[in-house]
Amino acid sequence: MIPALRYEWRRLFSIRSTWIISVLYLALVGVVGLLPIFVASPAAQSWEGLFSTPGNVLNAMILSVIAAQTFGHEYRYGVIRLTLSEFPAREKILIAKTLILSTYVVAMTLLAWAVLGAGGLIAGSEKVNSEASGFTISESQNSTQMWQVLAFGIGYCIFAMSITMLSRNLALGVTLPLLLATILEPLVGALLGIISDWFEPATKYMPLSSAQAWIVNAPDWPQAGLVFAAWVVGIYFLASFFFIKRDA
Amino acid sequence: MRVEVNNVDKHFRKLHAVNDLSFTVEPGRVTGFLGPNGSGKSTTMRLMLGLDNGTGETLFDGLPLAKYKSVTGVVGAHLDAKFFHPKRSALGHLKMLGAEANISKARIDEVIQLVGLSDVARKRPGGFSLGMGQRLGLAGAILAQPKVLMLDEPANGLDPQSIHWLRDFLKHYASLGNTVLVSSHLLGEMQLLADDVVVIARGTLVAAESVQAFLSRANSKSVLVRSNDVVRLASILSMNGFRVEIEGENAIKVIDATSEKVGEIAFQSGVQLSELFTEAANLETVFMELTASGMDYEIGAPVTGHDSAVIRSGESL
Repeated sequence: MIPALRYEWRRLFSIRSTWIISVLYLALVGVVGLLPIFVASPAAQSWEGLFSTPGNVLNAMILSVIAAQTFGHEYRYGVIRLTLSEFPAREKILIAKTLILSTYVVAMTLLAWAVLGAGGLIAGSEKVNSEASGFTISESQNSTQMWQVLAFGIGYCIFAMSITMLSRNLALGVTLPLLLATILEPLVGALLGIISDWFEPATKYMPLSSAQAWIVNAPDWPQAGLVFAAWVVGIYFLASFFFIKRDA
Repeated sequence: MRVEVNNVDKHFRKLHAVNDLSFTVEPGRVTGFLGPNGSGKSTTMRLMLGLDNGTGETLFDGLPLAKYKSVTGVVGAHLDAKFFHPKRSALGHLKMLGAEANISKARIDEVIQLVGLSDVARKRPGGFSLGMGQRLGLAGAILAQPKVLMLDEPANGLDPQSIHWLRDFLKHYASLGNTVLVSSHLLGEMQLLADDVVVIARGTLVAAESVQAFLSRANSKSVLVRSNDVVRLASILSMNGFRVEIEGENAIKVIDATSEKVGEIAFQSGVQLSELFTEAANLETVFMELTASGMDYEIGAPVTGHDSAVIRSGESL
């Protein structure tokens, strides 16, 4: 397993786009999280609110580019055939890619928190403090927890990676989750709601609507979390099955 | 390391791409893998490496690849000159491929130098020529000094000097006891390079033997004759039952003849010869004879301003 991890690590960090996207992600998280504090300053921000910034879909989308590249680059440029020549037992490279991607997402989220924390400290306790009600991605009473931000990032990226694995299309792996979250699922939910009240809770069973309901701690957040997890696990295993069975 | 391909078979929907193929690739020898376009060479190589799913098995010293703990020391493959990320430097590409076996930086540098990419090692290969891509692909394949080398059309796009270098390199690599399987359309080159050949057409095995044995399959041997009185000689030869083809102003080709017989007839007829030459069978001739019916994409006859005349036996000019 170690050789496969070494191979995937080298693959990930030997292209410049990984570094560019990583810097872009940290910059975007910093801007989204800190700009309101320094510029708009509507109210004092809470630390929980500040640290929930990486749970924003836009930020997750940036990380999903790396997730899509995990398989997308390899299929696009034929490198997958070299990779699988070295790892005929495809499960090994699949697990290695999943572990390295998850580690990367965790590392980037930790770095994002470091950026936000540093920004919060610079802003001072008047603008960021534990007593502030703050403004967060969570619209409910309960603040988004840090573990939820971390789990959302990993889940979203594995979802994007799985779509790329299935479609062998890098662009689809990046755009489809974003479109689902921002346009398709709300639109389908709305249309179904118009057709019949019976369909109204349909969005509860859609992958990214449920993910967002979970991360903002909506009233039925535990169920939403389970639905999101089921989608991620389901599409991951489906994509893995085809990755192992299909011609390279 | 002996490579045994046993009953390998692959369908792409209605197309039977590889049909129950079995052959052995011996260590210490270069084996040429020949076949017309679309005959299934690349598919067979992918099946051998486990990249495509099919039936049958390929054993490397009696074991399938998946049974080896590390594969990079067993088989190195170069399947396409464009299998690299265009923005990952050549050096980065090789470091990635070498990461599995923890290949040292010194070995990577050595291989880069060997294939002649030292000057562009840190450049992005997106702008590489086909020949440079071939060199990078070959570098990746030999990085871990595998016991089996599988190369798909490695000479495409290489200049004559590079082809000469590749031939010497592969012969040397095989002489170290390694197994080398090379597919190519360059039959003249393959005749100089290969010890054995595996020939397929429409996914079916046509021949798997030494080059010498393969060449001995040639159906026709011809004799080239030059003379100032070639017209009279052609008539006499055709009267004697030979098939004669006109090769130029003063030359004819006598099919299925020996130089001794043609010389004897010319001497008896009082025709003075300026050249008498037996054309040895070459790989291309035998390959064309054996695979003529196996062309998936048949090509038309070349259009020329003057068709070559053929005098059949018994005819006269």
